[in-house]
Amino acid sequence: MSEPWSEEAEEDASSLAGTTDVELIKRAWRNEKAAPEILQFEGALVLRVREQIQLLEETVEESTENGSNDLVVSLYQMDLDRTLYLLRSYLRIRLQKIEKYMIHISKTNLWNRLSEQEKKFTKRCTAILEKLLEQSVLARLPYGYESFLKQSISSEEDDMVPEPQLDTFVFCKAKDAVGAFQLDDSGDEIVDLVADDLYVIRYKSIKGLVEAGQIDLV
Amino acid sequence: MYGRSASQLLKEQASCESGQLTVFNNEAFDRVIKECDEHHLQLESLFRKLMEQNLDVRTTTNGEHLGAFIHHHSLLRNKRCLMAYMQNRAEIVRSLRWQLGPVLPEEIKAKMSYSEEVYFVDHSNAIESYMSEMDVDLTADMVPPKSPSVQVKVLDDIGDVCLGDHSISLTKDSLHSLRRTDAEPFISQVSYHPFGAMRDDAAFRLTLLFVLFLGSNGRTFGLMPEKTIDG
Repeated sequence: MSEPWSEEAEEDASSLAGTTDVELIKRAWRNEKAAPEILQFEGALVLRVREQIQLLEETVEESTENGSNDLVVSLYQMDLDRTLYLLRSYLRIRLQKIEKYMIHISKTNLWNRLSEQEKKFTKRCTAILEKLLEQSVLARLPYGYESFLKQSISSEEDDMVPEPQLDTFVFCKAKDAVGAFQLDDSGDEIVDLVADDLYVIRYKSIKGLVEAGQIDLV
Repeated sequence: MYGRSASQLLKEQASCESGQLTVFNNEAFDRVIKECDEHHLQLESLFRKLMEQNLDVRTTTNGEHLGAFIHHHSLLRNKRCLMAYMQNRAEIVRSLRWQLGPVLPEEIKAKMSYSEEVYFVDHSNAIESYMSEMDVDLTADMVPPKSPSVQVKVLDDIGDVCLGDHSISLTKDSLHSLRRTDAEPFISQVSYHPFGAMRDDAAFRLTLLFVLFLGSNGRTFGLMPEKTIDG
């Protein structure tokens, strides 16, 4: 390339950085960050974002080699850093949620929301947590009380499992008008969700809308 | 009183700053376990009495039955307290992995029980194998990046370090401007502080400047607040 920062190249790169995938991962990241429970893993999106990161890395490298303007390079580098941060933070938040609620996740259908690697991670984490609790508490308790999942042998269901608080309030914004939305089962509370308005609602009530992608958490 | 030791154990934990590990309270912990055994003994003897009277445990409500009920629930409560104590501690131990990396300083290790130390290493390995499977380093970028390079002051002689295509000599007290990603591995093991401080970029930088920490390989860095550099 004789003219490394010709208009064309610049346009190319900026359209790369401006594609909706980065916006999408930002959205997924924000939702994941605000939701008390783990959401569906965006596998395809993560793959696409990683490809773009690689492309950006190549662009940065190329322009450094060509000795182009330092400012331009640092702008690209910044863009790359931010996208990388989004991706890492997204994966990290998920792992930290898994760490917190691993048993609950592996017992419920939340399990299907994990990626293959996350499933492996969950299994491993559960095994070592169980080992820790076994060694320090459970093995020293009398017969009938040594279960990892139940308080005692007489409990009918697993009542020793930490679960996420779905009752917490979250900030959310609807992308398009959802219309009148019923907040509870009794139908007493109905909210008219207008596009781009900010609401504070219990996560439990709008769980379905978040999962369907009709509403974004902020 | 039944259940007092267990509640003291948790009170001690609750009264300390969140995210900070307290010294593992072996003594109180063992006391609660012992209490559990006593409850169990009482339970057994009460059950034996019920059996001798040839009564159905589920339908009768005499003194023995109620006694057994109380012992059973005291035991359950103790178990819940012990589990909560361990789970809370395990959560802090896990957060330490994210904040400090795979090697813990001695003063923190001293606060853990042996099983917890093992747990930390095991958990750390689990995270690492996830990262290598995904081919991504999740411990970098704990705070959102503001600019691509950072100003660093070297706190300890490191020698020549190869960074990508060039190498620089990191001698003590010298100042450098490095790419964030290059500098981060040297900064990660700097201080032990609650997560709240890390979110605030300014507070984070200051902490990094003031707290000097000798890493395991003698690799140590501190970040300079930008003002000092400009002035």
